Amino acid sequence: MTIESKPVTIIMIEDDEGHARLIEKNIRRAGVNNQIIPFTNGTDALDFLFGEDGTGEVSAHRHLLILLDLNLPDTTGVQILEKVKANQHTKRTPVVVLTTTDDEREIQRCYDLGANVYITKPVDYDGFANAIRQLGLFFSVMQVPETA
Amino acid sequence: MPITSKGFARYSLALIIVGLLALIGVVAATIWLVERTQVYFEEVVEAREGRQAAVELRNLLQDAQSSQRGFLLTLDDAYLEPYQNAIGRIQPAYDRLAAVLAAYPQADEPMAQMQIDINDKLAELSQTIDLAAAGQSDEALAIVTTDTGEQMMTRMRTLLDAVIAAADERTFNGIVDQRGAANALRIVALIAALVIIAVVGGAAWMVLRYTRELDYARSEVEALNHDLEARVAERTTDLRRANEEVQRFAYIVTHDLRAPLVNIMGFTSELESALSPINALVAKHPEDSTDPVIVEARQTALEDLPEAIGFIRSSTRKMDGLINAILKISREGGRALKAERVDLTDLAESTVGAVQHQISDSEGEASIDIATPPVFTDRLALEQVLGNLLDNAIKYRHPDRPIQIEIKGRQERDGRIFIDVSDNGRGIAPEDHDRVFELFRRSGNQNVPGEGIGLAHVRIMARNLGGDITLKSNPVHGTTFTVSIAPDLRAIARSRA
Repeated sequence: MTIESKPVTIIMIEDDEGHARLIEKNIRRAGVNNQIIPFTNGTDALDFLFGEDGTGEVSAHRHLLILLDLNLPDTTGVQILEKVKANQHTKRTPVVVLTTTDDEREIQRCYDLGANVYITKPVDYDGFANAIRQLGLFFSVMQVPETA
Repeated sequence: MPITSKGFARYSLALIIVGLLALIGVVAATIWLVERTQVYFEEVVEAREGRQAAVELRNLLQDAQSSQRGFLLTLDDAYLEPYQNAIGRIQPAYDRLAAVLAAYPQADEPMAQMQIDINDKLAELSQTIDLAAAGQSDEALAIVTTDTGEQMMTRMRTLLDAVIAAADERTFNGIVDQRGAANALRIVALIAALVIIAVVGGAAWMVLRYTRELDYARSEVEALNHDLEARVAERTTDLRRANEEVQRFAYIVTHDLRAPLVNIMGFTSELESALSPINALVAKHPEDSTDPVIVEARQTALEDLPEAIGFIRSSTRKMDGLINAILKISREGGRALKAERVDLTDLAESTVGAVQHQISDSEGEASIDIATPPVFTDRLALEQVLGNLLDNAIKYRHPDRPIQIEIKGRQERDGRIFIDVSDNGRGIAPEDHDRVFELFRRSGNQNVPGEGIGLAHVRIMARNLGGDITLKSNPVHGTTFTVSIAPDLRAIARSRA
C-alpha cells in the first residue's frame, strides 16, 4: 500500500468486536501501520462512506480500503457492497469480503457485485491468524486508487 | 343398507338354491307325470284291446248264431257263409280276450265258464247245421228250441257286455286321470316358473344394486386416492422443507457458534503470548526470593496461567471439532446427490486400495466378493460410506490378530443392493449397537482418537442413497456392517422432486 505518498485508510466493517480486534492485531503484526477505522454495524459504516446526505461526496479524493463482513446486525454486507460499487465516488475502492460463509452462490454474488477479494475466515484460530497476517502482507504491497 | 360382498355371496347362493329347488321340482313332477302317463296309456291300450277282443268275440258269436238260424230256416247254403267265416276266428278271439283278462283273477271263473259255453255252443251249432244239411231239420230245430244254446249265448253276451263296460270305464278313468296329472304338471310348472322369475328378478336386482354400489365405492376410492396423492405430495413438500430448515439451522448455528469460538481461541493465543513478557519479568527476580508477592507471581506465571490456558485450549479445540462435525454432516445432507453408473467391485477395490498399506502393515488381508450388477448411485457418498467402514475396521482392530476384512455385495429380489463389510476387530457391545450410529457417540475402550461422527455420517449417507445401515457384532468374530442402498438413485430422486 502506498503508505508514504497517499495514506490509505482501512475501513473495517465487522460486527464481532473480538474478531475486529484480532484482525487488527494480526494486520499490525504484518507490519501494516495504516489507520484502521472499525465499524460494528452497517449504518455507521454507510454514514461514514456516504456522508449525512448519502451522496458519497465525503468519500471523494479519499484513499480507502474496505474490509467487509457479510453478517451484520442491521444490514447485510452484500447491500453495503452493492452501494459502494454503485456510487461513483466509492466504486474504485477495493473491497475485501472477509466472512465465515463459504457458500458458492454467496461468493459468486459478491464477485458479480464487484468485490475485489473474497476470503473465508478459517475456522481454527491459527489458520485465521495466519490468513489475516498474509492479508496484511498483501495490503502492504497493493495499490489503492484515489476515489473519484 | 349397503350390500357387503359377503352378504352378496350369501344372498346369491340362497337365490341360486331356491331357483335350483324350483327347477328340481319341475323336473321331478315332469318325470313323475311321464311315468303316470305311461301307466295310464298302457291301461287305456289294454282296456281298448280287451274291449276290441270282447266286441269281436260277441260279434263273431252272434254272426255264427244268426248264420245258423238263417240256414236252419232256409236250408240255403248261402246263409252258412258267415258261419263258416266266424267259427275259425272265435277261439283266437277268445284267447286274445283271455290274455288281456289274465291279469284279473276275478275274471278267471267266468272266462272258464265262457270257454265251456263256447265249446258247447260251437258243438251245438255244428250239430244242428249237420242235422239240417242231412235233411233232419226238425231234429235240428228241436235242439234249438231246447233253449240251452240261447241260454249259453245270453250268459256269454252278458259277460262280454260287462267286460266292454268295464273297459269303457277304464278308458274314461284313464283319460280323466291323465288330464288331472297334466293339470297338476301345469300348476307345478306355473309355480316353478313364478319362483324362477322371482329368483331371477331378485338376483338381477341385487346384481344391479351391488354393481351400483361397487361403482359408487370405486369412484369414492378414486377420489380418496386422488386426495391421498395430493396429501402425500403436500407432506413430501413439508418434509423436504423441514429437512432443508434443519440443515439451514444446523449451518447457521454452527457458523454463529464458530465466530465466538474464534475469539476465544484467538484471545487465548494472545494471552499465551502475553505470558512471555510476564515470565521474563518474573525471571528477573531470584528463584529463592521469599517475597510473597514474587512467589505468588511466579506461581501464577509458571503454573496457574499455563494450566488455565491449556484447559481453555483443549476445550475449545474439542468444541471446534464438534462444531466442524455438525457442519460437515449438515453440509453432506445438503449436498445434491448425483446418480451415475457405479461398478461396485471397482469402487470397493479403490476404497480398499486407499487403506491397503495399513492392512498390509498388520499382515492382514481384505477380500472382495461383489455379485451385483452396476448400480446408479452417488459415487462420492458410497465411497465415503465404504471408506468410513474400512477406517473403522482398521481403527478398532483386535490387537492380537491380523486384520481380516471381507466386502460382499448382493442384490435382493426386491432389487435393493446390500453390501456387507465384515471385520475381525474388537466388536461392539450389544447395548451400543444403536448408539454407535448416533452423533458424538462411541463404543468401547476410548483408546483410539475419534470424534464419534463417522458412523452417524455413514448412516445419513446410506439413507440419502435410499437405504440404511445395520450391524451384527460379537467380540469373538468381529463386526459386520450391512449397508443397503437403492439400485437406482434416479428413481428416488424423481419421486423426491
